[in-house]
Amino acid sequence: MRSAGLIGTLRAVAVAGALALLPTATAVGSAAAAETEPLPAAAATEVTISPVDLAGPAISTVKVTVTNAGPARMRSLTVSFGGPAGWAVQPSAVRVDGSLPTGASSDATFRIQVPEQRDGFTVRTFTATATYQGGDGRGSATATRTQRSGTPLARLADAYNNVAVTDESNTAPGDYDGEGNSFSAQKLADVGLRPGGTVDALGARLVWPNVPSGTRNNATASGQAVTLNGSGSKLVFLGSGVTSGASGTATVYYTDGTSGTGTFGFPNWSFDPANAHGATLVASSDGRNRPSGYGNAGIKYRVFAHSIPLDPAKQVDFVVLPSNGNIHLFDMAVAP
Amino acid sequence: MTGTSAVSRRLLLGGALAATGALATGVGAAPDAVAAGTAVPAPARKPGQTSMIDVPYDVHRTVRVGVIGLGNRGSGMTTGWSVVPGCTVTAVCDIRADRATRVADRLAAAGKPRPVEFGGSADSYAEMLRRDDIDLVYIATPWEFHYEQGKAALLAGKHVVVELPIATGLDELWDLVDTSERTRRHLMLSENCSYGRNELAMLKMAHEGLFGDITNGHGGYLHDLRALLFSDTYYTDSWRRLWHTRSTASFYAMHGLAPIAAAMDINRGDRMTTLRATATEPKGLADYRERFVPRNHPSWNETYVNGDLVTCLIDTAKGRVIRAEHEVSSPRPYSRINSLAGSRGIFEDYAGVVSSGGGRIYVEPDHSGHAWRDFGSYRKEFDHWLWKKIGDDAANNGGHGGMDYVLQWRTVQLMRAGLVPDIDVYDSASWCAPVPLSVMSLAAKGRPVQVPDFTRGSWVNLRTGLDSRTTEMPPVV
Repeated sequence: MRSAGLIGTLRAVAVAGALALLPTATAVGSAAAAETEPLPAAAATEVTISPVDLAGPAISTVKVTVTNAGPARMRSLTVSFGGPAGWAVQPSAVRVDGSLPTGASSDATFRIQVPEQRDGFTVRTFTATATYQGGDGRGSATATRTQRSGTPLARLADAYNNVAVTDESNTAPGDYDGEGNSFSAQKLADVGLRPGGTVDALGARLVWPNVPSGTRNNATASGQAVTLNGSGSKLVFLGSGVTSGASGTATVYYTDGTSGTGTFGFPNWSFDPANAHGATLVASSDGRNRPSGYGNAGIKYRVFAHSIPLDPAKQVDFVVLPSNGNIHLFDMAVAP
Repeated sequence: MTGTSAVSRRLLLGGALAATGALATGVGAAPDAVAAGTAVPAPARKPGQTSMIDVPYDVHRTVRVGVIGLGNRGSGMTTGWSVVPGCTVTAVCDIRADRATRVADRLAAAGKPRPVEFGGSADSYAEMLRRDDIDLVYIATPWEFHYEQGKAALLAGKHVVVELPIATGLDELWDLVDTSERTRRHLMLSENCSYGRNELAMLKMAHEGLFGDITNGHGGYLHDLRALLFSDTYYTDSWRRLWHTRSTASFYAMHGLAPIAAAMDINRGDRMTTLRATATEPKGLADYRERFVPRNHPSWNETYVNGDLVTCLIDTAKGRVIRAEHEVSSPRPYSRINSLAGSRGIFEDYAGVVSSGGGRIYVEPDHSGHAWRDFGSYRKEFDHWLWKKIGDDAANNGGHGGMDYVLQWRTVQLMRAGLVPDIDVYDSASWCAPVPLSVMSLAAKGRPVQVPDFTRGSWVNLRTGLDSRTTEMPPVV
């Protein structure tokens, strides 16, 4: 898990061919003005992105500043800028005429189409890249800026949007896999998964959704932000996957304003190897409920656990789930 | 409005009034200048002529409307204008004077100020345009009169709303753009479907990025009009059916094209570059006539040349593809298609999902499993402020599910508040360009033809349009 630092303007510094993202400011909730910290001693190209006015629908103007901190003049500088997928930007790149002496900066101005602010929590990420000759000799440098708005959901249950478990006497409400299939409540109970029951996995104590069969009891991951308090060594997720490729990156935000990310995934609830994506098998139930009733006896339908590391010195504030609807989550909890 | 007033030779380019069979089918109608691969420079602006992009209306405390054409469409829309807060219908005109009287009577009976009546000749509208108590002219005459009357209204110093299409020839479209720029008056296509609830939600979803990078969209006008086309009363003097005897054009695809163009920010960061058209054989109208129309009906002297399904494939500067269809001659349920797709998902309207206004959707990461999902929750989440604000009024006052009233309310609001139009003359010309361009491409056996850049290069600039910010209607005092 990489600590990505404060939310807000991130200054990109190309160091030894790698890109390090250094926090310079916190800009929570809107286009708050970014504070500027003293430049580090490293003689590397800096790229900064001005705050983006997210009060849409509107066309917002964004300034990208490139500073030549390298020993040589910077030539053939081209600056590109982009926002979230589908947000139009004009122009996509700006070529800077002439050259920049050491210590000099150049601004490139872009216009971006900003949609109406959505209710709920949003994280918007903007990226700028400078390519050049000379300067620090690295050839390119990239910066990202993240701005967020809204309030996270109070609990994962508020994100439940899918029915994973049905009673064998009424399978119609189920649609775990997009084809009307679901877990059998009876068969899950046979292996210890009952509404409100605890599940111990990967050092965490989780709770199986305490809702009746045939009602929404899991969240398909689509970037929802969910409040989660506590501190520990890792964040444990309880769930399984549908179709294939049920993996993605979750972002953990801490109460001090910093954040970190981690990638996890689940096997398909039926056909993948049980350790796919590094997951741990929690329970296997026999058969599944289909729209026409219980069936597929002899085939296992499974629930897994997986985790991402946390910074144990920090208090978790909230978690932004991956953006991959193939990931289904029943619960998540912090493990000591 | 009906009659036989002078019709511009330019109509020939749109396929109207063809004197020969060859021209009627579009043969020879494609000037070399618009063939794909040939640069088509925009005609130069005259000295002092400047763009109307981002030009706001002057503030009008009350918007005074004059209506030309009082058939089915014009009559209904006149009622709509009269009930918008801060709007008054001051004059009405139709070549058939009794229609003007009937509409004036109706407004007066509803407690509205009685509009001044004009009518009796093909030039009556010109007399109406001389009045100084008209701010906005709404035109709902047969297609062949739109250009001539729209231009005259601009020259008379009025803003103009014109029913589809604003013109049928490329040089007419250019002339309306230039006349708008010279007179500093706005002209907009009365594209009510651009204000449809699903269409606006689709637009807002596109701007949110729900579909990722937009790659393609489909729209059109698929409406079984056969009974109306052969009616002796619905389209005065059968004007609409007669277009099917003299033009191969995609007459009316704007209802589906415009919302897709809006979602792709055409003229606001992208533009249509080339168009190629196909058409099926014209079978539907003749077959209908054979089965349902008496042998003594005048239509039995007619030969239909307009293909039942005319499809335009339009490329954009950003590499997107739009498919715009026109089909009014065959039995089928109504549809404007309204499909938009990108790197992260797709929306389709008219999928029969009643609970969600007909639409269905599939977007990552919300959805997986290759199964369509109900559009209802998205329609609610991305509902345009106009529908939240006046949706109930629209349902009570307007036709076509309320779209008409939303267009009228918003147009009046823009004029009263002194705001920039959502739909300008450049949008209007671009959306109507497939009328003549389809004729040209069909005449060239489907060869691509270039779509003019009516913005003269300004299409590269991002700007807002139908995805507007919430605005209050100025109070009526």
